Amino acid sequence: MQDIMAILPLVATITGAILVMLAAAFESFRKEGISILGIGLFAFAFFVQLTVENGPPIAPYETMFNGMLVTSTFTKVAGLIILGCGFFSALASQTYFNQNEGFVLEHYCMMLFAASGMLLLTMAAELITLFIALEIMSLAIYTLIAADRRSVLRSEAVLKYLMLGAFAGAFFVMGSVFIYAGAQSTKFADIGRVIGESGFLTNPALVGGSLLIVVALLFKAAAFPFHAWVVDVYDGAPVPVTGFMATAVKTAVFAVFANFLVINGQLQEGWVSYLFYISVLTMFVGNLIAIGQNSLKRMLAASGIVHSGYLIIALVAINSEQFTGSTILFYLAAYAVSTLGIFAALSYLGGEGEKRHSFDDFNGLAKVRPYSAACIAIFLLSMAGIPPTAGFMGKFYIIAGAFKGGYITLGALGIVSSILSMWYYLRLIIAMYFREPEEDFEVGELTLAPLGTFVLALAVFAISFIPVAI
Amino acid sequence: MTHTVTYLGFIPLLPLAGALLIGLIYVVTCQGKQISERLYGILGCVGPVLSFFMAVKVFFALLSLPAEQRFLSHKAFTWFAVGDLDVSMGFLADPLSSLMLLFVTFVGSLIHIYSIGYMAGDQKFGKFFAYLNLFLGSMLILVLGDGPVVMFVGWEGVGLCSYLLISFWSEDTDNVVAGNKAFIVNRIGDLGFVLGMAFLFWGIGADGFDYLSLKANAHNLTAPVGVLVCLLLFVGATGKSAQIPLYVWLPDAMAGPTPVSALIHAATMVTAGVYMVARFSFIYAHVPAAGEVVAWIGILTALLAAIFGMFQSDIKKILAYSTVSQLGYMFAGVGVAAYSAGIFHVFTHAFFKALLFLGAGSVIIALHHQQDIWKMGGLRSKLPVTYWTMLIGGLALAGCPPFAGFISKDEILYSALANGHVGIWLIGVLVAGITAYYTFRMIFVVFHGSPRDQEAYDHAHESPRVMLIPLLILAAGSMFAGYANIPAIFGGHQRVSHWLAPSLVEHHPHSGVGLEILAIAASILAFVIGISIAYRKFTVQVDEPDYSGIKKFAYHKFYVDELYHKVIVAPYQFVGKAISRVIEPYVTDAPVQASGWLYRMCGLAFKVVQVGYVRIYAVYMVIGVSILSLLLSRSLNF
Repeated sequence: MQDIMAILPLVATITGAILVMLAAAFESFRKEGISILGIGLFAFAFFVQLTVENGPPIAPYETMFNGMLVTSTFTKVAGLIILGCGFFSALASQTYFNQNEGFVLEHYCMMLFAASGMLLLTMAAELITLFIALEIMSLAIYTLIAADRRSVLRSEAVLKYLMLGAFAGAFFVMGSVFIYAGAQSTKFADIGRVIGESGFLTNPALVGGSLLIVVALLFKAAAFPFHAWVVDVYDGAPVPVTGFMATAVKTAVFAVFANFLVINGQLQEGWVSYLFYISVLTMFVGNLIAIGQNSLKRMLAASGIVHSGYLIIALVAINSEQFTGSTILFYLAAYAVSTLGIFAALSYLGGEGEKRHSFDDFNGLAKVRPYSAACIAIFLLSMAGIPPTAGFMGKFYIIAGAFKGGYITLGALGIVSSILSMWYYLRLIIAMYFREPEEDFEVGELTLAPLGTFVLALAVFAISFIPVAI
Repeated sequence: MTHTVTYLGFIPLLPLAGALLIGLIYVVTCQGKQISERLYGILGCVGPVLSFFMAVKVFFALLSLPAEQRFLSHKAFTWFAVGDLDVSMGFLADPLSSLMLLFVTFVGSLIHIYSIGYMAGDQKFGKFFAYLNLFLGSMLILVLGDGPVVMFVGWEGVGLCSYLLISFWSEDTDNVVAGNKAFIVNRIGDLGFVLGMAFLFWGIGADGFDYLSLKANAHNLTAPVGVLVCLLLFVGATGKSAQIPLYVWLPDAMAGPTPVSALIHAATMVTAGVYMVARFSFIYAHVPAAGEVVAWIGILTALLAAIFGMFQSDIKKILAYSTVSQLGYMFAGVGVAAYSAGIFHVFTHAFFKALLFLGAGSVIIALHHQQDIWKMGGLRSKLPVTYWTMLIGGLALAGCPPFAGFISKDEILYSALANGHVGIWLIGVLVAGITAYYTFRMIFVVFHGSPRDQEAYDHAHESPRVMLIPLLILAAGSMFAGYANIPAIFGGHQRVSHWLAPSLVEHHPHSGVGLEILAIAASILAFVIGISIAYRKFTVQVDEPDYSGIKKFAYHKFYVDELYHKVIVAPYQFVGKAISRVIEPYVTDAPVQASGWLYRMCGLAFKVVQVGYVRIYAVYMVIGVSILSLLLSRSLNF
């Protein structure tokens, strides 16, 4: 019974998804009703997650369901971030589909399914469960991207994602097989015990298995050199879905990543030097891709690669003896708030058919829509890491953690990368505030997304006050 | 030892919440239909008045405790914790801060009420009350903060609000310049405060950076660091409390609306420096040398400002210099380790200085914003209430027994004499005489004689009741506030000194009755001489004299402002221009531009990698996996 209580948020999300699916079958529930239902269910799941008693603050493998799942404060907070992302993406969707084609009634149902996959992902303590969770999430996301069958852009995006995702999925399964061969179990607890007894680098099956699993996770996290899909896929997806992918998926993937690496200290140590290079390359390659972009969505996708780089710094600096994951979660929350905010703003500023999408389209926005422009500026400054925003504190905690863990070079490179990232964030601010508008864009009836944008702009400051122990 | 009470947090919170509420209402309504002034007035006054009642509650709560346990605290939340530095948003009410609280909220509330009348009809009525509330809230944070860092929050808050309020009528460039000047000069002082705080933390901050922990560890502070901390903190105080060399902003601050001047001079802002020195008495007590510097700078400021005050023709500037001068006394008091005397003078000064400013405001409104005393005269019959209340204020300021100012000022002068600082005492007595002279010069010229500007005189009328009632209350305060601390020689019990004792580290001098009588006699003599010269010269009809020689020099305030401009501002601007024209474009900007160009080229080159073909992306992945496998296989050891 206690096991069930602990996964109540998961149950709530899945039940919600089924509810929306059933509701979509009735004539009386049309677009508006479904939207409100979807948003409400995300809010409900969020509060369930908030109230549920979730075990000890540090993730030891105190297991449920015979060692399949684990809950801790880490998974709880990750769940909160995911459901929060879902809530704000749902708000953005409602407004986005007021002025864009391609709405299907199952949209919110798929978002809820994706969220349930992510929640399961954060809790998974066993490789098969993990794989199933990964696929639940991925399949729902594929559907979300390409729900509009008539759009070639969407189809192209989903095809790329699906093919490369399948490729990465194959790596994951193969990795699980190797690990099973090495440890005779797929449970994290058993794998950790085997590594503890016989060592990590002395066991080729475990090393090979972990390599393939890490590659699959790096793919999902869009780390170099598995990042190439991100820009095209994010660009092809509808704006609210892009926001959802950029934030919620990243949160789930990094939660899994951290959970996997802390299975055993030796596993993490074996990977540290490689993750070190991957994080540096991810940050710098991401920056270089981002500055070349003219489309805002593509720039944000590329900057998402850079943020993955920072999060990998945090993975490198994990102290597996006393893992709390607080810096990772803080960064994810700060990143999620700013990114969701921008995508929420884009979903109503974009106009019909995402007409406003390039940097130049935002010229002089501050004169036409001062409040929206101010909110966007806040989000951008947060992503660039300017105090007193949450983004600054997130970077501060991660870099301070790297210094504390002895990775001075990595921390310094993180700072350099954050300076480089100003280039493309400030570019939009310059466009909004210092350029003259060229063309007037009509924006349709505004409903919930502006409200969400405003709340998120406040959250950027509010979150920065949450103290975190490094 | 300390008792926790939650309502402590509400004292600063109420005015701050008021500021937020009024500010939001103002922002929302300023474009279209405005809400009535009456509503703004009520909203603006309710926070300060409630804070005052809570301050009274705090006072009685402390009174009910035994003397050595009079500490109430409330920790709202942990603000930040870095290494040894653990700072929480905490509030501490002890005898010292509770006394400050009482008069800050009391006088502050009266000024708020008065402002309803003074600002009537102003376009930015709502904004004014939002700022005023913010000002009072910041001051309450400053007073109630349980450590230097929280104090600094309030410290900066009052600095900001003074800027906003001095340049409140921002249509006039002079006002904006005055606001900037106040802000910049204060920032110079703030740097001293920050450095002082840093050294204090470095010295003894590791075991807690709040007053009680610091006080407990004060004996560990080594002498050089102690001197440094004291002097740096005092630099902060010279900025906020307008002492040499940073006093220049205060007279210019008269550009703001008169209630603001009253608030700055009486209840908030300038008293912060004195409060801070008294607050850190546990450090100053260890380094008497630093205290001596404080005392001398204080008394010299008192002298200098008093001399300037003799020659001013603007009614508000006379009062401004009198404030600078009185602040000098307070610093002389805390400098000679008579902390309770200094704080007591802050307390009485709040009443009579608020009274004088509000009275001056009443005169200014009556004469339609005429501030030149040489255009006034004979107003006694037109503005009777204003006259009588200002007369009381003037007597208190000039140090006439038994008004409040006499008792507190005499306490300081006597302490200086008793502690062996004869020089400070002599200058202090001299300043007392000058003070009496210039105060009554102002009162005689404004209210006595016959009108100098007949037309303005004919149109003058007494102010509305909402302005007069605060005047009457403050007049009562100026008369009787001194009785709280009557020295033993007059049969009193020095209640305030005893009340403050648990908060301060001071030793009361025990000297003969003869010395005390000498001090009192000298003060009274100085007062009588000062007032009689003023009476002889200014009750007869005189016009603005032409100053020449040394008097002209004093009339122009020794050209200190011009000197500062030449020596500091102008070279600074020159260097700034040189940097912006030479160094910036060629030395610093050129490499930055070049690296930016390089970076963008790299970005464009990298864009090519995003070809858009899935097969190419898959190839990247395969290459990545291969490299990782190769590297990992090398590290295997089996």
